[in-house]
Formats: sequence, C-alpha cells, structure tokens
Amino acid sequence: MLEACILATILCGFFGIIFKKNIMMKIIAMDVMSTGVIAYYVLIAARDGLFTPIWANARKGAYADPVPQAVILTAIVIGFSIQALMLVSVMKLAQDNPTLESNEIEKSNMP
Amino acid sequence: MNTLTIAWIALSLVTGFVIYLLPKVDRYLALSVAVVSLGYGLQIFVEQSPLTLQLLDNFGVTLVVDQLSGYFILTNALVTAAVIIYCWDSGKTAFFYMQTIILHGSLNAVFICADFISLYVALEVIGIAAFLLIAYPRTERSIWVALRYLFVSNTAMLFYLVGAILVYQANHSFAFAGLGEAPTEALALIVLGLLTKGGVFVSGLWLPLTHSESETPVSALLSGIVVKAGVFPLIRCALLVDEVYAIARIFGVAAALLGVFYAIFEKDTKRTLALSTLSQLGWILVAPEVGGLYALAHGSAKSTLFLIAGNLPSRNFQELQQRRSINPVLWVALTMAGLSISGFPLFVGFGAKILTLSQLPTAYTIAMNIGAVGTAIVYAKFIFLPRGGQEKIRLGLSLAATLTISALIVANIAYYQAYTVANITKVLAIIAIGWVAYVFVLRRSELRLPRMLEQFEHLIGGMSLMLILLFWMVFA
Repeated sequence: MLEACILATILCGFFGIIFKKNIMMKIIAMDVMSTGVIAYYVLIAARDGLFTPIWANARKGAYADPVPQAVILTAIVIGFSIQALMLVSVMKLAQDNPTLESNEIEKSNMP
Repeated sequence: MNTLTIAWIALSLVTGFVIYLLPKVDRYLALSVAVVSLGYGLQIFVEQSPLTLQLLDNFGVTLVVDQLSGYFILTNALVTAAVIIYCWDSGKTAFFYMQTIILHGSLNAVFICADFISLYVALEVIGIAAFLLIAYPRTERSIWVALRYLFVSNTAMLFYLVGAILVYQANHSFAFAGLGEAPTEALALIVLGLLTKGGVFVSGLWLPLTHSESETPVSALLSGIVVKAGVFPLIRCALLVDEVYAIARIFGVAAALLGVFYAIFEKDTKRTLALSTLSQLGWILVAPEVGGLYALAHGSAKSTLFLIAGNLPSRNFQELQQRRSINPVLWVALTMAGLSISGFPLFVGFGAKILTLSQLPTAYTIAMNIGAVGTAIVYAKFIFLPRGGQEKIRLGLSLAATLTISALIVANIAYYQAYTVANITKVLAIIAIGWVAYVFVLRRSELRLPRMLEQFEHLIGGMSLMLILLFWMVFA
C-alpha cells in the first residue's frame, strides 16, 4: 500500500514535468518526483524494522538498515543544489519572459 | 599504487578549489592536473594488472582501475589539456578553469568507480559543472540550453536512483556486479538513466542543441569526453551482465545509424559535429569489449573538430562553400581529424574501427558498415570545403590541435595489427563510396529533417517511451 502511494508520487511528479507549461511548475514537479524517490529509499530501509541502530544497553530487536538512508542523504543534498541552480536560472529567464511559458522560451531560443 | 590512485582522484578536486583561491596561476594549475592525469593514464598500461580497491567494507566505495578505464582517463586528460591550451590567451576567468578541472576530476571518478552510488554522485557533479560551463556566457539562450540539459539529466538520474535501490534490495550492496541478480525493473531503470545521460539513440536527442549552442571550448569538452561518462558505466555493466550486453549492442547500432542519418542532412557545422557524436557513441557501445580505443579515437578527433569549427568564418555550410575563406592550415588540421573519424589508415580511427568491426556478428557488421559510409559522407562535407583564406590563426588553437592530432597518430600503436592489405582496402573502399556519394548526389540535396523530437517536452516524453521499450526488452 505504502509502496503504491510512493510510486504514485513519483509518477505524478513525472507527469507534472511533462504536462505543466510553466517552468516554475515543472521544477516543482521535479521536486515532487525526487521526494517520491527519497521516500522509496526510506521505505526500503525500514522493511526489516523501524529502530535506529544505535549502540545501547537494551536491545530493541529488528532495526532499520542505515545504508540506504545514508546514501539518500547525499542525493537530497545534490537535489537541493540542483534545484537552487535551476531557480536562479529561471530568475534570469524571467527578466525577459515574465510568463515563464516553456514553449515560448523554447521558440525564441531554437536556432 | 593504492595511495597513488586516491591521491590522484583527490588532487583534481582539491586543485579545482585551490584555483579559485589563487586566480593568478589558474591556467598553470589546471594544465598541471591534466598532465598528471595523462601520466596516470599511461602508467595503467605499463602496470597491466587491474587494480581493485574497496574503501570501508561492503557498503563502501569500490574502485576498479583497468585498461578500459585507462583509455577513458587518457581521453579525458588529452581533451582537458587541449581545451586549457586553447583558452590560454583568451582571457577566461578563474571560474572557467575551476569548473573545467572539477569536471575533469569527476569524470575521472566515473571512470574508476564500480558501484552505483559513487557513480550517481560523480554523474551529478558532472551535470552541475557542465551546467555552469554552458551557462557561463549568461545570455538568455545559453541559460535556457543549460537549464534544459540539467533538467533532462536530473530527471534521468531520478529514474536511475530508483533502479539503484532495487539493486541494493536484492544484493545488500551497490556494486555493479549485483545488477545480474537484481529484478528486471532495476535493469531497465538504470539503463534508461545511463542512456539518457550518455546521449545514446532517441533519449540522447538533447545532445545536438546543447553541444552546438555552447561556446567552442565547452562544446569540445562536452562532445569529447562528458558524454562518455554515461557510456562508460554502460560498457562496464555490459561486460558483467548479459542482458545489458544485448541492449548495448542493439542501441549501439540504432544510435550509429540514426545519428549519421541526421548528420548527413544538416546544414550547420557545429550541429553536424554534435549529431555525429550521437552516432559515434553508438560505435563505442556496439562492441563493449573494445570500446576504450574507440572512445580515445573519437574524443581526441571530435574535440579538435569542434575547436576548429568554432574558428571557421561561418557556421553555415552554404556560406562556407561560397565565400572561399578557410585558411589552408586550418583545413589541413580539419581534414586530418575528419579522416581519423572516417577511419583512414595512419590515424587511430582506422585501428579502432577495424577492431570494433572484428568483434561483431554478421548482421551487425553490415549495419555498421553502412554507418561507416555515412560517417565518410558527413566528414566529406568538411574535407571538400574550398580553401584559400588568409586570416590569422590563434597560437592556442594551433598548439591544441597539434596536441590532439599527434595523439591521434601516436595512438596508432595500440592496435598496429590492423594494418593488413584486406583491412586497408576495405576502409579505403568505404571512404571512397562515401566521398563519391557526397560529391555527386548529396552535395546538392535539400532535405530539412524535422526538429520536433528535440523539443524539451518531447525529450521527457521520449524518456517514458524508452522506459517502456526497455521494460519490454528485458522481459522478453
């Protein structure tokens, strides 16, 4: 069930990238998609158990796999920096194209 | 050897940041990093035995350095050195050299890594560095082209990440070797990501616009080496997993034919070169065992061609044919690089082409020979341009072209066994057919191919179609 929801998030994001006309909305749709991917990593890490694997006296039993979580942290940071770069370039583009319609910008920039 | 490898990888990234602290010596630092990489790449061939490194335990980073990586590292060093020499007296700021060297370092990281997460990080760093290089002139067009590039590559990498976690779920490790045991969805998703990043076949149609609209040195970097960051992991996986091998072959042939078909009818010099890159990537992919030599041949020749094409008086073939003003010296360099890509003997392109063709089954050989004739036609467009201009050639350009062209000639020794009478006749026949077809038929042809598929939304939509195709291929 949870897995289906997460995959639906990824797909929603992907279709948002295709169908939204405004570049700003496209970037937000891409963020939705990457949120879905991050959630998928967390879900797979938590399959075996939910406890954090921190050394303690009392054993808590089945714990969550820390590797996918550590790995996705890198991807979150990279995704964030890419988002920032894209927003800056959209800001630059907005000076000449206030509507930010991707079709319009593309038409004036295709040789 | 182990310490050397780690120090070498760290060196290029550290130097990248030091350049920004010491902007006065930027060019010297950048060039020395490229020279160090050149030395390291050559040293791999002396060493012969592959080196495998496992940092931390089985969750950590795995590195593999073998001859295949050696070829790609050499290409990287040559192209970067040529681009830095080209820019030497052109007043580029420290920022440009910093991005170039960070790009160089992360490309080297791709060429030696052996697990999916290190690969992901390196590919994303490449994406960001390439974005900054393309957007560097800060005109509206360059920003749009760069934004488009980053968007397509980031969407592809999101699919790739989903594939990577499925591999981890099946094997409890991100190593490339686990791809065989992973579910088929993982295979399709990862291959889609790498195909898009590497600019192969339909999912690579972002490439012509991006490569032709960036500045001359940036195009040379992008076409010469950056696209190979997507192709290299595909080759690595193809050698480990049979399904990927079959996919790589089919996509290689398809890309080689599609790219060359588009390139023949193109009227713009830089776009022709970019479309030819699309087809040459197919050549690298079609024979994964020997893709390294072809990558070296293509990288050095294509960067030379891009650097020279940026200095021709016009980008339009028709204008070039009427105005008669190519400097003869430029023409000689252009012809040498063009002949190498067409597979003329005395250049490394010949050995690479023969080696690739010798690895293929019959049906593929026929298709690739057609592709080779197409390549000869494409470069005939450059070789038959009229000569006679007198304009001055910049010193940086002549030094850079000398470097890459001498590399093309020296690298011949890698596969000197190719020089048999049968091979030479075959290649000469292919080139002759191509030139005759160009001079008598295609020179006057007027065919404008639609560019609809290269629009931004169609690129992303094409990605979903490719995903369906790949699913269908791995399930069948």
